[in-house]
Amino acid sequence: MDIKVLGTGCANCKATIALIDQIAKAKGVAVTLEKVEELRDIMGYGVMSTPGVVIDGKVVHAGGVPSRDKIEKWLTA
Amino acid sequence: MNAPVELPSAREVCPTTTRRLLAEGALMVDVRELGEVAQVAFDVPGVLLMPLSELQERFGELPRDRELVMVCQVGERSLKATYFLMYQGYTRVANMEGGLFKWARKGFPIKGAAPVAEPATSGCCGGSAASAPASSCCTPSPASGSTCC
Repeated sequence: MDIKVLGTGCANCKATIALIDQIAKAKGVAVTLEKVEELRDIMGYGVMSTPGVVIDGKVVHAGGVPSRDKIEKWLTA
Repeated sequence: MNAPVELPSAREVCPTTTRRLLAEGALMVDVRELGEVAQVAFDVPGVLLMPLSELQERFGELPRDRELVMVCQVGERSLKATYFLMYQGYTRVANMEGGLFKWARKGFPIKGAAPVAEPATSGCCGGSAASAPASSCCTPSPASGSTCC
């Protein structure tokens, strides 16, 4: 599962990466987690609110740290 | 949500070039929040106020057949707005680098109190040049560079 977190390095972006990483490890799901910090690359997804989360090329979240429940659903889908 | 798009670097223009573009018919779009605009504003006829927080809902109001120059306080939010519009298929859009600070520093018209704080910026268009003609200094440049001329 390829996961990208879009954000210019704010605290919420870092928290989002950490939370996804933590939950993926806890569930034993193999993920490739990547930060996308360049504004041009972020805006290439049309995301105005960060952090954004992209899973396998699809934007699944934009704005605020996603909830634990939400992340768990992504990782079981 | 939409598929990713590989965007080219945004076109960036300095305040001097912005004035020339405005004289040629471009539309200035100020993406600062209304509270900020109330304190100090660009004194430009026809400037359109579209706060970044409303852009996603309101960008359809912006013409596609007219040059747009996006502006804000320092040029960062307007760069984001520029990329957003590019993502939405706008091709005639540029970001004014340096924002209101640089505009005011050059002595270009503002309404309200002049901004007191100023970010440390570099580039060829710095310094006081209130008397510079609108066509004197800068040409559009890609966002990847830090200079404008």
